[in-house]
Amino acid sequence: MLYREAGQFKATYQEDQQIFPIRQDRVGMAVILAFFFAAVPLIASEYWLQAILIPVLIFSLAAIGLNILTGYAGQLSLGSAAFMAVGAFGAYNFMLRIDGMPFLLAVVLGGLCAAVVGVAFGLPSLRIKGFYLAVATLAAQFFIVWALVKFSWFSNYSSSGVISAQEVNILGFAFDTPILKYLLTLAIVAVLALLAKNLVRSATGRRWMAVRDMDVAAEVIGIRPMRAKLSAFAVSSFYCGVAGALYAYTYLGTVEPEGFNLDLSFKILFMIIIGGVGSMLGSFLGAAFIVLLPIFLNVSMHTMFGDSLPAGLGSNLELIVFGGLIIFFLIVEPHGLARLWALAKDKLRLWPFPH
Amino acid sequence: MMMNDMAQGAETSSGRRIGEVILDLQNISLSFGGVNALTDISFNVREHEIRSIIGPNGAGKSSMLNVMNGVYHPQKGKILFRGEPRQKMDPHTAAAQGIARTFQNIALFKGMSVLDNIMTGRNMKMKCNLLQHAIFWGKAQKEEIEHRVKVEEVIDFLEIQSIRKTPVGRLPYGLQKRVELGRALAAEPSLLLLDEPMAGMNVEEKQDMCRFILDVNDQFGTTIVLIEHDMGVVMDISDRVVVLDYGKKIGDGTPDEVKNNEDVIAAYLGTSH
Repeated sequence: MLYREAGQFKATYQEDQQIFPIRQDRVGMAVILAFFFAAVPLIASEYWLQAILIPVLIFSLAAIGLNILTGYAGQLSLGSAAFMAVGAFGAYNFMLRIDGMPFLLAVVLGGLCAAVVGVAFGLPSLRIKGFYLAVATLAAQFFIVWALVKFSWFSNYSSSGVISAQEVNILGFAFDTPILKYLLTLAIVAVLALLAKNLVRSATGRRWMAVRDMDVAAEVIGIRPMRAKLSAFAVSSFYCGVAGALYAYTYLGTVEPEGFNLDLSFKILFMIIIGGVGSMLGSFLGAAFIVLLPIFLNVSMHTMFGDSLPAGLGSNLELIVFGGLIIFFLIVEPHGLARLWALAKDKLRLWPFPH
Repeated sequence: MMMNDMAQGAETSSGRRIGEVILDLQNISLSFGGVNALTDISFNVREHEIRSIIGPNGAGKSSMLNVMNGVYHPQKGKILFRGEPRQKMDPHTAAAQGIARTFQNIALFKGMSVLDNIMTGRNMKMKCNLLQHAIFWGKAQKEEIEHRVKVEEVIDFLEIQSIRKTPVGRLPYGLQKRVELGRALAAEPSLLLLDEPMAGMNVEEKQDMCRFILDVNDQFGTTIVLIEHDMGVVMDISDRVVVLDYGKKIGDGTPDEVKNNEDVIAAYLGTSH
């Protein structure tokens, strides 16, 4: 009964084109933002902030990046982690080599480095599609990690290839506690998510989706597939790059190239598949699912069996249940959690009537 | 032949004045490897007319449309668009020159709503860049609303207001064809290429589609090149008809001339041996 759009008339196209045309959605979004910006810092423990909320936010950003490329522009990629690495090492080097480099600018520049690299590795998409393109982006994944290890200039000649993120300092204000790092991450992710949403509802987004859905027709309408695909690669890699920089600066503190391996790329791919391909909300839900589920399983294993299980068996059981749940979700709703949410909203609008 | 060069200024079936030749195809030949899709075909399209291309399956009709809007490049022949010769062009250039088309097998963007599909049709006219889109404030928003107004006109014209937010994949076939016409119309083309807009429709849907085509021609003065298999429709609404068979032109003229052309009758009905 509460979720009704009845009585909400739109008199202008501007009202009709809002991101949340229904009032209840707008209120809901405001409540969610207020909760995460104001309430969470007050109630969340350090563990929650550092081990759960910050990584969920960062992975959401990376998932938005991959979703732009795969979900909206239809180009499959297995190189997301590598683009994150470019962003992380890019931001690190800008901070290191330029005196007085503002942190936010370094993050943006790191993202732009990733965008340039992304466009370069996106060039094969002009010729090949689908799984074959995925294999081509696999080259990006291996090449970039290899290059970051091989040329130790990138890690400032550290013997192990590990970089330690510099202190985060914006306008003389140090972001050194988990709460501040969380708020900084949240603010960046919120702004970038809004920009991404704007992009996909604009002509740029329609060009991407047109190329995804029917490239011949898109071309006949006057869309240049090359421009659409490469811009998707650029924006997607930019988002992954910023996520990578945050991964280094607000989450881990120290990163090495090997940390951005194929496993991480797959993890991000799973996030968008489970969350919902071609959905902004799905990027967040997928990231939360993939980060939280293993922790949840771990905790519930411990409460169920205590310490009676051998350590190896316990962790393997977790993996088995994790895999099983992913398969279960994909069978129940192949379009992801975001679709489940949309279906629930449709039902809610009619409730308590079935039709 | 006489009627083929129908006098300029004659009335079309919908009452429009027929104007100058806007598209002139001269001795077009197109082959894929050893297969000759089109052989030495010449005909022209005049402004404001409805020009039909008919012929049995595999006659080369769709290839002809693909040549017109730059998807295929003929090996031989010359194409003049508004008097300007063009040899090689890509579909983007054709779209920029005001040529829009629909496809034989519906080529809508399945994951997008009706509104977004038609908005995409205005792609060539949207000038904001990616950064402006990301900020979506001021210029980009203004542009979006300006184009939305135009798109709503197309939606009203085609009487599809009730489905504007529906994903096109969920629509029945006849409506999808209508949306595809809408997407082409949104570009405000001067030359509209329709590839079997009535295939697979029932009589009522065909009547609706005929009405839309005639209205487009009449109200906007759009020149239309039409491929269609329903002879009743073709003979009723076309100003001139060109007949292809096995990639060769076998007839050209007004519907009446074509109907009585012996080669055409032979191609459609066969000959007695």
